[in-house]
Amino acid sequence: MNINLQFASLALLAANSASAFCGFYVAKADATLFNDRSEVILVRDGRRTIITMSNDFQGDVKDFAMVVPVPTVLDRNDIRIVERRVFDVLDSYSSPRLVEYYDGNPCIQWEYAEELDVMRVPMAAEAMADKASTRARREYGVTIEARYTVGEYDVLILSAQESNGLKRWLLDNDYQIPSTAHEVLDPYIKSGLKFFVVKIDLERMQAQGFEFLRPIQVRFESEKFMLPIRLGMANSKGTQDMIVYAFTREGRVDAVNYRTVRMPTDRKVPLFVKERFGEFYKDLFKRKWKQEGRNAVTLEYAWNVTPSWNGMKCDPCVGPPPMPQEFVDAGVDWAGNWNGGGQVFFTRLHVRYSREKFPQDLFFQVTPNTEHYQARYVLTHPAQGDLSCEAGQDYLEELYYRRAMELDELHALAGWDISQHAGYLADVRRKLVPERRNALEPTGLPFDQDGGKGGPGSGTMLLLGIFSLIAVGAYFLPRSLTGRHTA
Amino acid sequence: MFQKKIEAIEPHPAKGVQQLRTTVMQERITAFARDARHFQIVFLGGFLLFGILALDWSRRAEEVAVILGTTLATQFFFIRRLGLDIRSWKSAAITGLGLSLLLHAGSLVTLALAASLAIASKFLIRDRGKHIFNPGLFGIVLTVLLTGDAWISPGQWGTGPILLFLIAGAGSMVLLRVGRIDTGVVFLTVYMALDLVRSMLYLGWGFDVTLHRMMNGSLLLFAFFMITDPMTTPNAPRARVLWSAAIAMVAFAMGTFAYVHTAPIWALALLCALTPFFDRAFGGARFSWLAPAPFHDRAPTLNVEPTLQER
Repeated sequence: MNINLQFASLALLAANSASAFCGFYVAKADATLFNDRSEVILVRDGRRTIITMSNDFQGDVKDFAMVVPVPTVLDRNDIRIVERRVFDVLDSYSSPRLVEYYDGNPCIQWEYAEELDVMRVPMAAEAMADKASTRARREYGVTIEARYTVGEYDVLILSAQESNGLKRWLLDNDYQIPSTAHEVLDPYIKSGLKFFVVKIDLERMQAQGFEFLRPIQVRFESEKFMLPIRLGMANSKGTQDMIVYAFTREGRVDAVNYRTVRMPTDRKVPLFVKERFGEFYKDLFKRKWKQEGRNAVTLEYAWNVTPSWNGMKCDPCVGPPPMPQEFVDAGVDWAGNWNGGGQVFFTRLHVRYSREKFPQDLFFQVTPNTEHYQARYVLTHPAQGDLSCEAGQDYLEELYYRRAMELDELHALAGWDISQHAGYLADVRRKLVPERRNALEPTGLPFDQDGGKGGPGSGTMLLLGIFSLIAVGAYFLPRSLTGRHTA
Repeated sequence: MFQKKIEAIEPHPAKGVQQLRTTVMQERITAFARDARHFQIVFLGGFLLFGILALDWSRRAEEVAVILGTTLATQFFFIRRLGLDIRSWKSAAITGLGLSLLLHAGSLVTLALAASLAIASKFLIRDRGKHIFNPGLFGIVLTVLLTGDAWISPGQWGTGPILLFLIAGAGSMVLLRVGRIDTGVVFLTVYMALDLVRSMLYLGWGFDVTLHRMMNGSLLLFAFFMITDPMTTPNAPRARVLWSAAIAMVAFAMGTFAYVHTAPIWALALLCALTPFFDRAFGGARFSWLAPAPFHDRAPTLNVEPTLQER
């Protein structure tokens, strides 16, 4: 019954999708949930890479400074400032979503389905500053390749001969670099990378009337499709979150030197999750991250978002779809052309990294994979009204077991203690007639007499299986080897 | 007296049955162990299940079905046409599993294309009775190049000691049986040495960077299950060492300077094409799956003349 309704509501959604972006907006697990985060827009088009870095710097803006390794000396035209709003649009559009469905009352002969949605998730950066040029070369072995003024920022492009000089130059010029940065400056210098160094000009900023630092966008051509995360890593244990909004013409973006895993999706969760969806997603993410060994990149959204494409863009959409101009601002310059501008494929990746688990910078590849994916969690509101008819009692019974599953799912996904939520089931049980109520089977949940259940996950079981296979093989191996020698 | 006789006889039938059972078991086990392909099928199948269930690969059942179905169908087509030994289906199953582990594509048709190209290459691209390309590799390379709809995800295995153990353990077992472990070991050694020299000694990265690269499951799978394919490696041990070192060098150069993340695959394709030259220059006996394998080629007189049945 409830399953039919689900399908009904999905069908409704599909029918509407071309004309309207669906649903009410309920809640989202957006990027701002995560502390110590950075957000990056990464556009890859052939050999071209366009990176936009959000500078949500915590602290006094006069202390803001940033060093980013880049593969080439950037031209003035390769650097621009975009509005922070672009990040907000992309974040809200792609963030994990909570959807609501309503069960119809089986005692009344009409069905009604509607959906609401909720959600999303977030990211961060580093800091530095600048001064003179011939001195830089003579005393530090640092060459100032270019010097630009871009909006409120002063930008320098540096190249260096060795890390000590660069490090001293940066420190002497008030760029604070993480204490572990020396580990990576040398490799970056020897790999031929330049350093894109940014400081804020307070006077210009005030004159322009901006209160917040606006994102900086750079573009360059290089075979390298990567994000140099090592430079910004604080220390060996601390973790940082980064959200990558990636755009390509072909399809999904995949990490090549780390696993890319998907968040569990399309799971039914209890109604009370609605009020705490952000918290739920945070816990879910943390659990998944631990479960995958803390060294995986997580996929949160993958969709064809070509502006002129009429297919369904999300189910449901969390925010309004980005407008072509917003794509262009994000660096997806081919999206502005409505006729034959080419496909725009949007991949949202969430990386929680630490020095210990992410020894290498993040390298990516563009794949032709255009399969759609979204992290989506489903709430189902029970039918309202009198449910005393036979069908209504059947429905309540199903609802009871469904709710037990939702609780179980909540525990499995986010690790929440569900023992305090016995009332979620009792609400339904109360509405059943006594004989039906007594015939309910135990649910296996902790507050049921049956007690909780445990057991190794499928991964563990599989590992055990493979180990035993190897053991069996190893047992036969010596025998067959000796057999062969005697033969 | 009479009673005693019966007692004396009775234990025998029971013992006989037991013995028979043991013998049947032993024979089955020996038969299983004689052909290293059985181990290969079991391990590759295990890896595939592990990837799907524990590593959350987006590998769908119908994809595996299409790949395996197409490889087997193509193999049976050639078995009938050329009158080959029916047991060669095992090689096709290995190719199918290999493709299921490595190749991704947007459509089932692309996967079927890769599978049929892979098997067909064994029968159509040959030199002196030996096929040139590792079939799975050939299917992958051609499909990726031609369709634009296929790709490899080198990061899908992640990294970890447990992977090293699993893949290396399983791989070396299979390899010890066929005597081509030298290729995998030489490849890994040279590749790691090159990476150490560049990453650690020249660039100044920590050892963990090299280690992270070496622990990559895709690389290990490549080293222990792909490059070691006894049918497409050079026959002479010395030739194999040179050949696998060359693969490591080409792969390293492509990966480091051109940022080709699937470099080992392309390097292997390149060097496979050169295998006939290595065979001509160094000689050596051809490998056969069913012969009592020449352990490190110490029994070169067996199967010098390749027969159709062994394809």
